[in-house]
Amino acid sequence: MKQILIIGNSAAGISCAEAIREYDQTSKIVMLSDEDTPSYYRCLISYYLAGDVKKNNLMYKPQKFYSDKNIELVLNKKVIRVNTKKNRVSCEDKSQYDYDILVIASGARAHIPDIKGVRKKSVFVFRSLKDIKEIESLLPITKTACVLGGGLVGIKAAYALRRRNVEVKVLVKSNQILSQVLDAEAASLVQKRLEENGIEILLGQDADEIIGEGDIRAVKITSGKIFGCSLVVLGKGVEPAVDCVEESDIKVNYGIVGNEFLQSSVPNVFTAGDVCESLDICRGKNAVNAIWPVAVEQGRCAGLNISGHATVYPGSFGMNSTDFFGLPVVSLGLHRIEKDDQGLEECKVFDAAQGTYKKIIIRGDRIVGAIFVGAIGSSGIFTRLIKEQVDISSLRDKLLEDSFGYPDISGLIQEKEQSYV
Amino acid sequence: MSLIKERSIDRATQETLKKAKKENIPTCWDRLDAQQPQCGFGLLGLCCTVCNMGPCRIDPFGEGAAAGVCGANADTIAARNLARKIATGASAHSDHGRDVAHAASLVTKVHSHPESHPEGHRHHHDYEILDIGKLKLLAAEFGIDTAKPEEQIARELSKKLLEEFGRQEGELVFTKRAPLKRREIWKKLGITPRGIDREVVELLHTTTMGVDNDYKNIIATGMRCALSDGWGGSMIATDVQDVILGSPEPVRGKVNLGVLKEDQVNIVVHGHEPILSEMAVKASRDPELLKLAKDKGAEGINLAGICCTANEVLMRHGIAVAGNFLQQELAIVTGAVEVMMVDVQCIMPALHEVAACFHTKLITTNSKARFPGVSHVEFTPEKAYETAKQIIRVGVENFSNRKKDRVNIPKEEMDLVAGFTKEVVAQMLGGKYRGTYRPLNEAIISGRIRGLAGVVGCNNPKQTHDFAHTELVKELIKKDVLVLQTGCSAIACAKQGLLLPEAAAQYAGNGLREICDAVGIPPVLHLGSCVDNSRILTAASHIISEGGLGEDLSDIPAAGCAPEWMSEKAITIGFYFVASGVYTVFGASPFAVLGSKNLTHYLTHDIEEIVGGRFDFADTPVKMAELMIAHIDKKRKALNLKPVI
Amino acid sequence: MKKKFVYKVDKCLGCKSCEIACAVAHSTSGDLFNAVNEFDALSPRKKVYASSGKNYPVSCKQCDEPQCVSACMSGALAVDPKEKNVLYDETRCVGCWMCVMACPYGAIKPDKKSKKTVRCDQCKDKDEPQCLKACPTKAILWTSS
Repeated sequence: MKQILIIGNSAAGISCAEAIREYDQTSKIVMLSDEDTPSYYRCLISYYLAGDVKKNNLMYKPQKFYSDKNIELVLNKKVIRVNTKKNRVSCEDKSQYDYDILVIASGARAHIPDIKGVRKKSVFVFRSLKDIKEIESLLPITKTACVLGGGLVGIKAAYALRRRNVEVKVLVKSNQILSQVLDAEAASLVQKRLEENGIEILLGQDADEIIGEGDIRAVKITSGKIFGCSLVVLGKGVEPAVDCVEESDIKVNYGIVGNEFLQSSVPNVFTAGDVCESLDICRGKNAVNAIWPVAVEQGRCAGLNISGHATVYPGSFGMNSTDFFGLPVVSLGLHRIEKDDQGLEECKVFDAAQGTYKKIIIRGDRIVGAIFVGAIGSSGIFTRLIKEQVDISSLRDKLLEDSFGYPDISGLIQEKEQSYV
Repeated sequence: MSLIKERSIDRATQETLKKAKKENIPTCWDRLDAQQPQCGFGLLGLCCTVCNMGPCRIDPFGEGAAAGVCGANADTIAARNLARKIATGASAHSDHGRDVAHAASLVTKVHSHPESHPEGHRHHHDYEILDIGKLKLLAAEFGIDTAKPEEQIARELSKKLLEEFGRQEGELVFTKRAPLKRREIWKKLGITPRGIDREVVELLHTTTMGVDNDYKNIIATGMRCALSDGWGGSMIATDVQDVILGSPEPVRGKVNLGVLKEDQVNIVVHGHEPILSEMAVKASRDPELLKLAKDKGAEGINLAGICCTANEVLMRHGIAVAGNFLQQELAIVTGAVEVMMVDVQCIMPALHEVAACFHTKLITTNSKARFPGVSHVEFTPEKAYETAKQIIRVGVENFSNRKKDRVNIPKEEMDLVAGFTKEVVAQMLGGKYRGTYRPLNEAIISGRIRGLAGVVGCNNPKQTHDFAHTELVKELIKKDVLVLQTGCSAIACAKQGLLLPEAAAQYAGNGLREICDAVGIPPVLHLGSCVDNSRILTAASHIISEGGLGEDLSDIPAAGCAPEWMSEKAITIGFYFVASGVYTVFGASPFAVLGSKNLTHYLTHDIEEIVGGRFDFADTPVKMAELMIAHIDKKRKALNLKPVI
Repeated sequence: MKKKFVYKVDKCLGCKSCEIACAVAHSTSGDLFNAVNEFDALSPRKKVYASSGKNYPVSCKQCDEPQCVSACMSGALAVDPKEKNVLYDETRCVGCWMCVMACPYGAIKPDKKSKKTVRCDQCKDKDEPQCLKACPTKAILWTSS
């Protein structure tokens, strides 16, 4: 009996297992998780901390899912080594698992910056339910907190803490927040909304030292100023969790490199999710897009290929949507034109009265990026235009109109099923 | 509403609807079903078709367009739409008034009293002055020397009345009938109507593209137009009809489809202007036609009415009423109608189709209201009797075409007493020779009568036919409110026996019953057709001048209601009531204004500060009654009146 | 068996009656005259777009491979194992707008007031979708093929 081993028990790993089981009821599937909890909706952790989601709604797949699908789930198994010669993985606790096919969906881990005092108690990353529970346990005695980093993780952490009535300062090294997903205009709209809701944001500032003995007292910033605070959250980005394959011959670039079938450089090893580096449609080269929908898609694609249904992964692109105090924001693909980007153009509309902003980035006649702030209703159609790389030359004037909708593109795309007759 | 019992509470209507269904003849209820759902933008007043940049619609949920192409917002659009309906309703009543005023110039012979001229000796070709007293009172209002010969007075009065339509400046003469305080309010607001036609034209002007964008100002102009109907066109129609057709007096009559007769030629008159149907009453008694009817095998000629034409001939001659607005098709469906002659207003275009299913001849008589493919006999007042005779002859000759096996006349008919004008009420309460409102005022002051309610208006298939009218009226009289009725509302209640003196014992509260018993009146008084709503205004003005119930119409413990309204005319009536200070409730579905929160709030709240009256919308008769009684009690309290006995 | 909407484009006059019927059907009061006052609860799940001189009502198409479900990171969306239609548990929606961003038809709307998405549920509590009844020209079909 074939044994399929999946490292990781979140979106990519689970959707991979599900896809395999659609066609293959016989192979043994074992999933290894380095966490101590059953699978949960990782993206909900900030909502959970904010109080928007109850604990029982965090659960992703109940135990019944695993038993129904005949999947063996093993918790507290941190894989530290993959031996592709022996088709075997080794765990931190010395246990070993053999496989015929391996799926590495080990996800990502928070980046720990090199700052003095960063290992102190009350300095947290914002990645797992465990982190959040620890932060939550300190909330009763936390009046002020400092978030290092103005990326999505940092801002979401700041939002959650603010919702719990903590005074929050966000230190942002660059001169805008969310610089990895938004341009300066969009970022300033979001920043304004955050500030209106009591989150203090300091641009162009980084932490120099986290001060305190035992408990944290303050954060010293590069300008030399010192802010008092008793909690620090690190939002300095995530990186693919590739440690376990470092000694193997699985090719790692930034993430584990997956081909068009999401196979790694070793044919019986597949990869999916936040650890996987694959084709980015918008960039035209490989990249890691560590987001939930991509993880689900990649897991499914890998699973289909494993079960013998050859499926080409069409590539991914960055997709982020969120809401800050009632301000919805969507970012797709490229978010700004860098100096060395050739052949890109952008169109944007800013409606100050409505507080809405829309921008698209076009390469040739294909959309490769879009940002929506305030009005995101039609963003799904742009996702599709990007994904299918639709020639939008006939649509250019309409794209950013409020009246733009699916019917405008229906003549340009292929549908399996016709809804309009 | 597919269940027949949900369509109407009236048995005759239910029975005939069953017949229509069996014979596969669609009626307005079926067409209402076919219209479902009706456009929400239209219902909320948010569709604008004023100019060719549109049609535009405002998103009532605030997500889509908030303004039309021109920039008009929900307030402007809803107000303009409403204003146009006011103008149309006012036009209908006032144009009716114009025709009557014109007919007054044609009188050639004076009768001191109609009974002194036995049938057969009358000069059928002419309109006659049948109420000389009222002629002289009207003449005096217009400054005409009443010592002149009566025919000359009538001609001069006719001229003066017609001038009211084309008047450019000043004030309509009848507005002087209103209490001084009321006239001052109008003057201050600049809504005293000047000329009847002018107010309609000016209102329409303000609603065209790019003129008035202030919904409050649009409503003010609308009120002025409505006042030109209530205190102008309608009042002229009522008063001149009394002069040339005779002032009504209490008269017993019968109502409902059961008044159609199986063995007689049935002629149904339908519409609103009585000047031809009046002649039809006379022609139906023409010996020559009666003989012809006998020759054709009919026992006689039976005239019956529908809608307000019915109310007019009922009030003056006790002619039977076949039904109200929603029964017009059903009268034909009985299979027993030889001719339905129609004049203007509320005539369903569907009648032609329904008539085509039977031997019934539909005949139009007014050049303003024609149907393709329907025979037309043009009515002119100069040849009124001949025209009427010609039409009835068609009916008599059509009798032999009636298919006996398709006839089914419901047996339901009900007695009623009608003919309560403002003069009659004064005389009944005060005495024939010294008519006065003192006893009525005293009854209200003492708390035997809680107050007055005008319950008027149409039917609407959106509501169970007649249900809201009758239930509301029962609620009101139970709480000692004396109810004044006109139009299809009066017919609805008549069918349920509420227009009989006996109804007081069955339905009225103690105080009201005491008064009804003492005077011998029903607790529900039939004042006439819908132009006769003007009688309510003059009656109310008399109540104020009698004293003890405040200084303005808005002080009287009174309220109005149109429970089952459908016509634009109802909106206009509502506005002249509100602009005269009357709290007025509309049932069926609300004015098409709910899409504009500002306008809705203005009409249902803030406008009261300005004119003393306001609107309310309610969907059940119980709710309507609650609202009206609460208002009446509020006014009683304001006057420091004793509690109701 | 999963049912889907099919629209006869030539019959759609763009009256938006389906939009209003939808909003009213999902209102608390359930009737138009009261529903216009329910600011919080109202948002039509169907929208009529005009394109190239024709009108297209757009609402959830009940895709066979629903992108919204893959994108949902809160567990609010799932595919019914039997009927294969998309199930939406509003109580689990956190308003992250992932499904809005993922819907290839732009058929899911963010409702800023409730901070949840609104999407066509085919009037699951009623005998049939109310837009169907509302269409005066019968341009909306609801079929299981």
